[in-house]
Amino acid sequence: MSETQVHPAVPALFKELPIIQDALTTETTNLQEETVNKCLPFLKGIHSSQKGPFNQFGVPALNRDDHIAYLYDSLEDYPGSFVALDASRPWMVYWALAGLALLGEDISQFRERVITSFRPMQNPTGGFGGGHGQLSHCAPTYAAVLSLAMVGGEEAFQLIDRKAMWRWLGRLKQPDGGFRVSEGGEEDVRGAYCAMVLLSLLDLPLTLPPDAEARKHGFETFTSGLSDYLSRCQTFEGGISGNPGSEAHGAYAFCALACLCILGEPEATISSFWVGGCWPLIQSAINGTQPATAPKQTSTGNLYSREGLTRYILACCQGKHGGLRDKPGKHPDSYHTCYTLTGLSTTQYHHYHTDASASSRGDFSSAFSWKSLPVTSSDNQGSDLSVFDEKDRLAALHPLYVIPHQAAENMRIWIDVEYFRGGGQFTQETFSDHLPSR
Amino acid sequence: MSGKYASDPTWASVEPIPLNDGSETGTLPLATIAYSDEYLEATSYLRAVMAANEMSDRALKLTDDVIAMNPAHYTVWHYRVKNLFALKKDLTEEFEWLNKMSLKYLKNYQIWHHRQVLMSSRENFPTLPPNELDFLMKMFKQDAKNYHVWTYRHWLVRHFRLWDEPREIQDVDLLLSQDVRNNSAWNHRFMLRFGPRSDEPDGGMPNSTAPPPEKGRLAVVDEDLVDAELEYAKAKVIKAPENRSPWGFARGVLRASGRPLSEWKDFAKKFVQDKVEDGKVVDVEVKSSHAVEWLADTYGEEGELATAEAVRMFTLLKEKYDPIRKNYWDYRIRMIAPATWSQEIPTSA
Repeated sequence: MSETQVHPAVPALFKELPIIQDALTTETTNLQEETVNKCLPFLKGIHSSQKGPFNQFGVPALNRDDHIAYLYDSLEDYPGSFVALDASRPWMVYWALAGLALLGEDISQFRERVITSFRPMQNPTGGFGGGHGQLSHCAPTYAAVLSLAMVGGEEAFQLIDRKAMWRWLGRLKQPDGGFRVSEGGEEDVRGAYCAMVLLSLLDLPLTLPPDAEARKHGFETFTSGLSDYLSRCQTFEGGISGNPGSEAHGAYAFCALACLCILGEPEATISSFWVGGCWPLIQSAINGTQPATAPKQTSTGNLYSREGLTRYILACCQGKHGGLRDKPGKHPDSYHTCYTLTGLSTTQYHHYHTDASASSRGDFSSAFSWKSLPVTSSDNQGSDLSVFDEKDRLAALHPLYVIPHQAAENMRIWIDVEYFRGGGQFTQETFSDHLPSR
Repeated sequence: MSGKYASDPTWASVEPIPLNDGSETGTLPLATIAYSDEYLEATSYLRAVMAANEMSDRALKLTDDVIAMNPAHYTVWHYRVKNLFALKKDLTEEFEWLNKMSLKYLKNYQIWHHRQVLMSSRENFPTLPPNELDFLMKMFKQDAKNYHVWTYRHWLVRHFRLWDEPREIQDVDLLLSQDVRNNSAWNHRFMLRFGPRSDEPDGGMPNSTAPPPEKGRLAVVDEDLVDAELEYAKAKVIKAPENRSPWGFARGVLRASGRPLSEWKDFAKKFVQDKVEDGKVVDVEVKSSHAVEWLADTYGEEGELATAEAVRMFTLLKEKYDPIRKNYWDYRIRMIAPATWSQEIPTSA
């Protein structure tokens, strides 16, 4: 450990253990203590690997160039020992592109390579697999569609077989209102979130395809029974689990909340939750819909500690040679680089949903009504501090689709225009001959 | 290719489908992997037999091979299950193999879904196999909070209707005696005692579909069971008062049984003791932030006269005992006492 002095601007809250410590130690407290002890020198800014510079709040700068280099590199070739990623290549592409977009890079340069990569992964029966010849699965499909949206352009949008996608999603819909992640795969809220992202972003008909099993259970649409399913995933602790009856988990909470927001009913079901990506959604649900022309900066204010999250990410998560990590002692990877940067971006913007949607038609217009305003240190008041430098500001991402707002809007608008044009293979008419007559 | 499949007469009838990663277009695909020749060959044969929907012993052996090289390949697991059922294989052997894989790859999704699909075969498993729970306890020795294993265990309970099997609660007790902070074991306990059952799908689950005030309540409350569970939680709180789990469990129990938080008011006060001198509170000794929150909520429910006390409790949390959630506690104060907030009264006690 270095002799460096702890920066005077780091508050005691981030240098000390919580005031109450039970005498009894167990495995949980041992692991927790181990993690805290690894983090404290980083939060104090005295770990030997921290090069600085530190800003006026004692927070290290974002090593922007290193992270950009790390993510560019993550899109290139991996040695054979990385074979475990074979079914996750769509994720690798999505994480890198979303991370680069956050860091302000122009990712449209990857358009050709993205199209080339995903074309062989799409199955004629709908959806994308993790690679050529792999079963369609909601996770790689989500990653593929969002990556195509990010690089943008007609050729990227046209690659997606929307009709086959619609029929495939119909086969994932379950009798209890939820979705499987693949045919024969597990059912959990990831399946529901991915399905709602795909249906809304690709403007697919909400009516279930005629051959969907779920029709035999009285369901007519993709959203039938979905709110009930999601509310059954709430646990006695007030969190949300992956399945009804399982334990609450932050990642699943995001899936379920984002799903409700796409459905257009964020106010309906939300109570209290504890994980980062959820905060803009919860805060927005409490604040209600804002007029697009004159949003209030914030009525509820932030419910979580923006300062704490910013300090943790910038002090503890930056790898020495670029990339971000879960916590000190772990190696950086694309996944954590993408999502810790997303978390940092969340602390830098005020997200709200408005009464004006980028998409004029369709059932999911509320999903396209999200806006964001940058929060700056000049807004600092009370204890809800911005502790990052302006040069460390990231781009804002859409809180539901986790890609730039413009990318989501461009994809949806292109599809809307195709619909109004009335020709081509991507129109509502092509779907309608598969719709059952009423 | 001259690999082990190409040179094996068993495979002579199969035309492998080589990997198409898009590179033939002349554009470089992204995040490529320099696969070993063995993996490339095996997956080429896998694509071919899957395309033909072949169900055979050789296909099954091929899935062994691919899984050994890459257990995260979800497609091969899916195809393996289809083969096992189509060929009516002895699943005992499969479970022996699967147990070894499970201990080796602790964070793998596919393994646990595979196990669930196999176990859901009533034909093979009309009742719970005797060693199943022992194996799960072995898994918990490696990681007592493994989310995949717990999710599988919940499914087992529902599938074989094990809510009242003594073994379930015994295992929970054992795990909680080893680590009273095992939040997953606490969740399982709640699910066993108050969770949904097949005849009452939403019973005991908060925010289930019933309208308030029935929402989240059991239709029939076994008051003795509720009393016993509350006593159990109290005993665990005393061991480590700052452990969130038993407090949360007790809240859930009270809500499911339709009882008020105030039932634990005196108990919570034991961990939040005011020091009074000359009839004035001069200091407060706090042994559990969760007890402070409990009291805040209890006072909040008591109505206007107790609002000041609720605000005092929230203020303790925000200033001293849980300051990382200061914004949340401020929000709670605004909700309960908008007037107090607008006056910006000094917040120190």
